[in-house]
Amino acid sequence: MAAEKTERVMPREGSTEIHADTKGSKAVRIILITLSVLFLFIMLVMPLITVIYESFRKGFGEYLKAVTDDETVGALLLTLEATVIAVIINTVFGLFAAWAISKFRFRGKKFLVTLIDLPVTVSPIIAGLIFVLTFGRQSFLYSYLEEIDFMIVYAVPGIILATVFVTFPFISREILPVLEAQGTDEEEAAALMGARSFTIFRKITLPHIKWALIYGIVLCAARAMGEFGAVSVLSGHLRGKTVTLPLQVEILFGDNKYMPAFAVSSILMIMAVVILIVRSIVEFIGRRKGEE
Amino acid sequence: MYIELKNINKSYGSFKASDNVGFGIEKGKLVALLGPSGSGKTTILRMIAGLERPDSGEIIIDGKVVNNVPASERGIGFVFQSYALFRYMTVYDNIAFGLTVRKQNKKEIKERVTELIELIGLKGFEKRYPSQLSGGQRQRVAFARALAPNPQVLLLDEPFAAIDAKVRSELRKWLRDMIHQLGVTGIFVTHDQDEAIEVSDEIIVTNHGRIEQTGTPADIYINPTTAFTSSFFGTTSELTDYKLFNSFDDVGEYDKAIIRPEFVRVTKKNENQKYEKSAVEGVVTDLQFRGNSYELTVNCNNSRFSARRGLDEPAVEIGEKVDVFIFRLFITQGNTVRLLKNNAIREETVII
Amino acid sequence: MGITFTLLSLIVLIPLASLVVFTSKMSFSEIWNVITRPRVLVSFRVSLLTALIASLINAVMGVILAWVLVRYKFPGKRILDGMIELPFALPTAVAGIALTSLYSDSGWIGSIFAKFGIKIAYTRVGITIALIFIGIPFVVRAVQPVLEKIDPLYEEAAGILGASRARTFRKVILPELYPAIFTGFGLAFGRCLGEYGSVVFIAGNQPYETEITPLIIMSELQEYDYSSATAIALVMLLAAFIILFIVNLIQIRNTKILKGGN
Repeated sequence: MAAEKTERVMPREGSTEIHADTKGSKAVRIILITLSVLFLFIMLVMPLITVIYESFRKGFGEYLKAVTDDETVGALLLTLEATVIAVIINTVFGLFAAWAISKFRFRGKKFLVTLIDLPVTVSPIIAGLIFVLTFGRQSFLYSYLEEIDFMIVYAVPGIILATVFVTFPFISREILPVLEAQGTDEEEAAALMGARSFTIFRKITLPHIKWALIYGIVLCAARAMGEFGAVSVLSGHLRGKTVTLPLQVEILFGDNKYMPAFAVSSILMIMAVVILIVRSIVEFIGRRKGEE
Repeated sequence: MYIELKNINKSYGSFKASDNVGFGIEKGKLVALLGPSGSGKTTILRMIAGLERPDSGEIIIDGKVVNNVPASERGIGFVFQSYALFRYMTVYDNIAFGLTVRKQNKKEIKERVTELIELIGLKGFEKRYPSQLSGGQRQRVAFARALAPNPQVLLLDEPFAAIDAKVRSELRKWLRDMIHQLGVTGIFVTHDQDEAIEVSDEIIVTNHGRIEQTGTPADIYINPTTAFTSSFFGTTSELTDYKLFNSFDDVGEYDKAIIRPEFVRVTKKNENQKYEKSAVEGVVTDLQFRGNSYELTVNCNNSRFSARRGLDEPAVEIGEKVDVFIFRLFITQGNTVRLLKNNAIREETVII
Repeated sequence: MGITFTLLSLIVLIPLASLVVFTSKMSFSEIWNVITRPRVLVSFRVSLLTALIASLINAVMGVILAWVLVRYKFPGKRILDGMIELPFALPTAVAGIALTSLYSDSGWIGSIFAKFGIKIAYTRVGITIALIFIGIPFVVRAVQPVLEKIDPLYEEAAGILGASRARTFRKVILPELYPAIFTGFGLAFGRCLGEYGSVVFIAGNQPYETEITPLIIMSELQEYDYSSATAIALVMLLAAFIILFIVNLIQIRNTKILKGGN
């Protein structure tokens, strides 16, 4: 609709600066900024400060004790196990799915994308529920599982499955837009010159999606480590055995062991802050690339 | 003068967009601000509108200095290059916007909007959204919206840039008629010289933030007063050594010798040439049909330039040797320009 | 393609299918009886109301935050911008206990209100606050890109025609933002309905008072009452589906206006 601006007015500071008499009043500015800062401080910053404060309330020594507690370590290991598996499976899936969706035409594409996104839109409790229904007492799979003594529900496999489920779309969701925006031109050119599929993927596609992929993995890992609802349903809550870090937090808090609860939380919080930093970096790089 | 600019200066950082700009516009005239990209014409327009503030100088509308008067109170209407129609409002609401803002009563608004819609020829389109209109239609709505509050001055920023070529000439004529009919003073920015010549009563030529020349289209075209103006208009060619052509005065040091196709007469060897004695031989190197004439490229005296021949004249071929006579040329010296007439013509008139 | 499909089925489709299978085993009256139990009905109301209020607050604050982040410059803006995603990055359990501690009667914020006799933790207000927390990023991040891309020309045009800043915002800028606001609101609302971890600590989980629907499902599961759990879950899914549907409808209507076509 709009024309090429043949002569746009010269260098302005800030691309969204409005002119002369269309600028808002200073008072409105100050009010809005103050409101925003206050809101974010109360809603976001204070909870973070609470975690740190409560973790170290009894001193650094006690903090270390809580963090290196056997149960806690067990929970950490289980959490890591589930996270790693989830990341691997979902990366593989994410790459294949995003590739398939962006490079091929077929009907029902949108439907497929919606399906893939489903785990994110579903409540974590319901996510846990469906696995219980599939593998739990009521299902026809149960007796079979009982025979081979492979328990899913209320055992580690269940936790891992739930984790994979809720983080399922994270990676494909991040790389899909990049792939779609990129188009098929470069790959087609390479194919015409005789490159094989895998080479094309490695040398052309992968570099493009590098940052989106990294960000997707980070998001996936974060959600995997922090997943609570779904894992809670499938867990069985056996301390030291089927308890992940978030569940351990719940247990400690429920036992009124506040300091340890927050100490364990601080581990997860550090991870959250790392994610935010990574995201900022990725966005910064992405923005610079866009300006090149 | 209805609109006056005095000693206007405007810089963006180290870039000088307006350099001591000054001019006057009479009431009711339709004026074009013409110049290449970056010459400062849009800056001038926006300063008149009140969207930018000059660093120094005065902007006077109807006798009042309006530097500190906000845009909405200057009595101007503005049509943006991309129209900036409010996408979520219907045609009716878009046009009515300036009126609803001034809290006029509904009946009056309805009357005025209906009047304008008829004026722009879009009756029946009131409930449409901008996305449902063609480019030309959107532009007309943009006009109507700017005109609704009855401004005395209408400012347009490259109004035809986004229009298809075919629709463009129609719209140009429509705009010109409309503005004259309404009696508003109109100023529009363009980088298209044909457009400026066709539409405006007067042209203000800008270059590097300065005003080069102002005058009627004919004036500027026929009598350029600056080097820039002389080379900006028409299809110009440069002569490497004009003195080789018979016969022009020697003016000493100069920058360029510029000619336009209409300054040149090309005749076949066997044709009657009025100034045969002064003609010089050249070779036709290219021939293009231009619809209403042929455009020839001629190599002559180490220069290459364009000339024209009518459709009813005997045909010329590429490679043919022809006689070339140049009636006049422009000589630029620094910033000034002079018109040199071929002395052969003068002699003739003297003789008679 | 094949791999995509296999993985998709294994992990997503089959488990979801089991839900359908299980539901079909139950009769309609069975389902109806479960979901019309008073305690369940109240939990619907609690979940819906708190989600609605929290999402509305987030819609308003989201626009303000987006505006401030896009239009203004001030020290620390970058940090604020980077923090917005915190609710996504922070595990729900951590958020849950942090918020509980903060708003309990002895907490930093809770104690201030306790002086006036206002309890926050273990009330519906507490639930709402937790839901506001998790919904912050939705509207902000939906509105920000749109706001960034709005051509300043629209505002200049409105300004020249005499509109005040307030009117320009209301009539010119806001309509451009509505689709994004609705999308953000819908997503936040859907998330709030299903949220468990952040809420379950601060809620206190008193039946008929602060019991949210996901919690009821959880308790049914712990008692192995799969049918009840499933029935209630169905209602939740239905609600989520309706929300998604409405959000989509709004998107379509707005695309129609924008893209036009005769």
